[in-house]
Amino acid sequence: MMNRRDLLLMGASAMGGVLIGTPTLRAMAGESPSASASRAIFSSAQSQMISALAELIIPTTDTPGAIAAGTPAFIEMMATDWYTDTERKIFFEGLAGLDAFCRASFGKDFLAVSEEQRVAALTDAEKQAASYVSPLPGGFLAGMSKLIDENTPFFAKIKELTVIGYYSSEVGAKQEMAYNPMPMRYEGDYDYAKTGRRWSY
Amino acid sequence: MNTDFDAIVVGSGVTGGWAAKELTEKGLKVLMLERGRPLTHGKDYVTEHMPPWEIPVGGKPLRELYARDYAVQSKNFAFDETTRHFWAKDSDQPYAQAPDAPFNWLRADVVGGKSLLWSRQVYRWSDLDFEANKRDGHGVDWPIRYADLEPWYAHVERFIGVSGQAENLLHLPDSVFQPPMQMNVVEKAVKQRIEAQFPGRHMTIGRTANLTEALGDRAACHYCGVCQRGCSPGAYFSSLSSTLPAANKTGRLTLRANSVVQGLDYDPEGKRVSGVRVIDTVTGERTRFASKLVFLCASTVGSLQVLLNSRSESFPNGLANTSGTLGGYVMDHVNGAFAMGISTEFMGKYYYGYRPNGIYIPRFRNLDPARPDGEFVRGYGYQGGAMSLEGARFVATQSGFGAGFKQAMRQPPPWMFFIAAFTECLPYKDNRVTLEQKLADRHGIPQVRFDVRFRENEAKMLTDAAKQGEDMLKAAGLQHVMSAVKSSVPGDAIHEMGGACMGRDPKTSVLNGWNQAHDVPNLYVTDGSSMSSCGVVNPSLTFMALTARAADHAAARWREGTV
Repeated sequence: MMNRRDLLLMGASAMGGVLIGTPTLRAMAGESPSASASRAIFSSAQSQMISALAELIIPTTDTPGAIAAGTPAFIEMMATDWYTDTERKIFFEGLAGLDAFCRASFGKDFLAVSEEQRVAALTDAEKQAASYVSPLPGGFLAGMSKLIDENTPFFAKIKELTVIGYYSSEVGAKQEMAYNPMPMRYEGDYDYAKTGRRWSY
Repeated sequence: MNTDFDAIVVGSGVTGGWAAKELTEKGLKVLMLERGRPLTHGKDYVTEHMPPWEIPVGGKPLRELYARDYAVQSKNFAFDETTRHFWAKDSDQPYAQAPDAPFNWLRADVVGGKSLLWSRQVYRWSDLDFEANKRDGHGVDWPIRYADLEPWYAHVERFIGVSGQAENLLHLPDSVFQPPMQMNVVEKAVKQRIEAQFPGRHMTIGRTANLTEALGDRAACHYCGVCQRGCSPGAYFSSLSSTLPAANKTGRLTLRANSVVQGLDYDPEGKRVSGVRVIDTVTGERTRFASKLVFLCASTVGSLQVLLNSRSESFPNGLANTSGTLGGYVMDHVNGAFAMGISTEFMGKYYYGYRPNGIYIPRFRNLDPARPDGEFVRGYGYQGGAMSLEGARFVATQSGFGAGFKQAMRQPPPWMFFIAAFTECLPYKDNRVTLEQKLADRHGIPQVRFDVRFRENEAKMLTDAAKQGEDMLKAAGLQHVMSAVKSSVPGDAIHEMGGACMGRDPKTSVLNGWNQAHDVPNLYVTDGSSMSSCGVVNPSLTFMALTARAADHAAARWREGTV
C-alpha cells in the first residue's frame, strides 16, 4: 500500500521537483564532521546572483520570499554538496549564460541590470529549457522510479532548488503554506477555503 | 552452552514478535535472537515528526552513499534519510542472483524488523486462496483451510487493531474491525461509479493495522502520515509497539540483538534441533544456545538461509529437507500494473490530516471456479487512492516564476486517482533460493542465491490488470486516464513467500499443517517461508495468524512434555 509520502513523491518526481529540507549532506553520509559549512565554491558575485534569482522565482509578496526563507543558502549547499560534477557544471554555465545574455542585450552583467532586465534574462533561460527532452520517463511514470536526470537545463535546476528550499523551509511551511504536523483526525471532504493554503510537508 | 530456555525464537519482526508473545504468555521461557541492532520503542524513532526544514538535503537521495552501501534498499519507496537507519546495508549483506533473474531483497536491520517499515495493510485469506493449489494443480495443496485459521485471524486482529469496513464478501472475509477511516470525496465518487458500472466489483477503504480507537496502552492514530519513521504512541502495529511489550510483561522473554543465527544443530537420535549457533555481529563471538523448541521467524529468505546452512549427515541438503523441496516454490507478488487519472471535478475540496491508508479493490477475476473469466489462473487486487496533487512538486516544472507563480501555488490543486495491482505469483518448484557455498558474507555464512522469475501467467495478469484498471477509471469519469505495465523485479513487493512450504505429505513439503517440520518435530517455521501459495492480498496478517496457531500447538506439546 502506498502512503502519503509515496504518493507525494510520485507526484513530485512526475512533475520534476522533490520535497527538500536543509542541513548537511556530508554529515548524513558520515563523511565529514564539519559538514555544516559548505565549501565556498561560489564567488561573491555568483552568490549574489543566486540570491537574486531565488527571489525572482519566489518573491516577497504578502508573505516572505525566498531570501527571507533562507533559500539562497540552501541552493548553495545543494549545488556544492549534493550536485554531481555534471550538475554543478550545468549550474555554473547557467549563471555565466545569464551574464552573457545581459551583456549582449543590455551591455552589463546580470547584477548590474535592472529588475526588468533580469526578468528578461531568466525568461530567456526558461525558453531555452523548454525544448529539453529528458531521456527518463516523463510525467506520472517519472514518479514511479527514483531516477534523477542530471542533465536538466539550468533553469530547471535553479527553479527546482528554489521551490524545494522555499516550501520546505520553516518560513515557507508556516507562512506561505499551512503547517499541521499533528492533525489528530482525517477528513476527506474538507473545503479548501478553510485553509486557503496548501498543506506543508 | 546455555540451556535455560524452553523456546528460542529467531527473528523479532512481525512473526517473531507473535511467537514470543504467545509462547511467553503460555508460560514458556523464551530467548529471542535478532540479527539487527537494538532499538527502543519511542526513544530511537529519531526522525519521528521531524519537520521538513530539518530533513537533510530535503530528503533527496545521497547518491554516492546509496550506490555504494544501499544499492538495493534505496530503491524502495520507504527508504530515505528519515528511515535509512532502520534498513540493512547492502554492502554488509551481499547476496547472489542467477543470470537474468534479478531479485531485490529488502531487509530491515533492527529489532522489530520490517514491522517498523511495513505498509500495515491487512486482509484475511479465504478458501478461494487455500484451495487454489489443489484446484489448479500448481504447488502443493495447503494442509489447512480457512476454518482452521479463522479463530486465529480474530485472535490476532483483536490484539493488533485493524480498522476497516465490513463488506461481507466471501472471498475477502471481514476482520474484527475498529471503525474504518474515511474515503475522500474523489474516492467516494469513484467507488460509486465503479460499483454501478461493473457488477461484482467493489471498492473499500484499506484495512490497516492503524488504530482508529485507542487499544490498551496504544493511542489512536494522530494522522501525521509518516508511519515508517516509527510511532511512539504505538498507533500502528509493530513488534516494538505491541507484541514485544506483551512478551516482556510476562518476565519470561530474553531478547538478544546483534545475534545472527548461523545454523541449527541436529541430534539424529532424538530427531530434534539440539542447538542454535549464534554469531555476535559486533564482537564476532560465537555462542550456542539450546532449548526444547525452536521457532524460525527470521523472514522468508532469512529462515531459508538458516535451514539451508544447517547441514548434517542426516540432512546433507539442509535441515528438514527430506522432501528436497526446501528453497523451492519461492514467490512474491507482482506489482507492475497500474492505472491513474486526474479529477478536476472536486477542485475546491481538500483534505485534513494525512491518512496512512488508501483504498482496496478486491479480486474480481476467477472467483467462481466453475466459471473462470480470465486467460490465466488466479487473480489480482488493486491498492491506491486519490491524492491531492500538491504544490511545490507539482508546480516546479510548470512554466513561469515570480509573484504569479507563487500565487498559482496557492490555488487548490487537482486530485489524482491511482491504483496499482498486486498480482498473485504461482508457486513454481524451480523458483529457488539456494546457498552460494563459494561466497561467504562477513560472518563466513554462505550467501543466499536467488533464481526467481515471474512467468507467463503473471504476465497475462499484469496486462489484464492494467487494462481493467484503465477501463474502471475511465468509467469513473476521470480525465487523462492512462495505464501501464512496468517491469517488476521479484522482491519489489516485499511479499516474498514460500521455500519451506506447508503440506500434507512429508515427501513433497517441509512443514505440516501446524508449521512444524515434518522431519524435526521441535522445529516450527512460521514466517512467510511456510506459505504454499501467495494469494492475492498482503500476507502479514496470515503470517501472524499462522504463528499464533503454531505457538498454541507447540505450547500444548511443551505442557505435555512431548517436545
